[in-house]
Amino acid sequence: MTHPSELISAYLDGELIGDETSKLLSHLATCGRCSADLEELQSVRTAVRSLPVLELPPGLVPEADAFVVPIHRNRGVWVGAAAAAVALIIAIASIVTPPPVSISVDDLTSRFGARASLDPAFSPAKVVVPVLGELSE
Amino acid sequence: MVESIPLTWEEVARVYGRKIYNFAYRLTGNADDAHDLVQEVLLRVRRGLENYQPGSFEGWLWRITRNAFLDEIRKRKRRPTTPLPDEIDRWDAATSDPADVEYARITLGDDIQKALLELPIEFREAVVLCDVVGLSYEEIAQAASVPIGTVRSRIHRGRRMMKELLT
Repeated sequence: MTHPSELISAYLDGELIGDETSKLLSHLATCGRCSADLEELQSVRTAVRSLPVLELPPGLVPEADAFVVPIHRNRGVWVGAAAAAVALIIAIASIVTPPPVSISVDDLTSRFGARASLDPAFSPAKVVVPVLGELSE
Repeated sequence: MVESIPLTWEEVARVYGRKIYNFAYRLTGNADDAHDLVQEVLLRVRRGLENYQPGSFEGWLWRITRNAFLDEIRKRKRRPTTPLPDEIDRWDAATSDPADVEYARITLGDDIQKALLELPIEFREAVVLCDVVGLSYEEIAQAASVPIGTVRSRIHRGRRMMKELLT
């Protein structure tokens, strides 16, 4: 008797295709060895899946805004000017310091604009891009 | 095109960081190695997002994760004084460090972890991607660049070996 044992794990994972399921089930109905195999493999599968989920150690993932350019924001026309200045600096940095920046201009502009409109504590136009290397890393 | 990227790097880090960490920990059995691997993977993802083409994001992400792990193994092969994960009892190594003792304290299923570490790396990787990360066979095949039939075989053989190890 040929034992389709390799189908058993795939069956447990719902990964059988075509008529494999019906073939395996027919075989299991008459084969005690494969039925026992199925139970044991199911136990192993359940055991691995029940391993506790570990939390990410603190500090491994940066803050959400860690790569937003920290700019002293401004209102009105200065918002566009500041965003354009940042985009220009980033563009230059991306040329002289490969690999290039992984933030799009649109992304920066939208973030900057959104933050500017939400932050009432604006100071007059003062654009500070602290570390270019950090951006283009 | 940057506009076609579905997630920013920060979002990837937040959403997938824990999954990558669990994958790395179960693969290495060591918190420090898992920590280093997550950092390396996130760095590669951040760089790679710019050239990412819309498609199977999971396959792309786990291919990067897998490659980072294999690169680390290759590096250690070139530095013979540093043992490979497969060449030492990682569980003993893990419990020798205070930081890892804490992990050992909170980690249940020690025998399962030990058995995982006994598997050949291809089997361990397939079992962990399937049962810990929850990827489909197709996603695992994409990540490992092998046919689905190979994934099926590796998972089955890995589980069979674990069954022997656990009895």
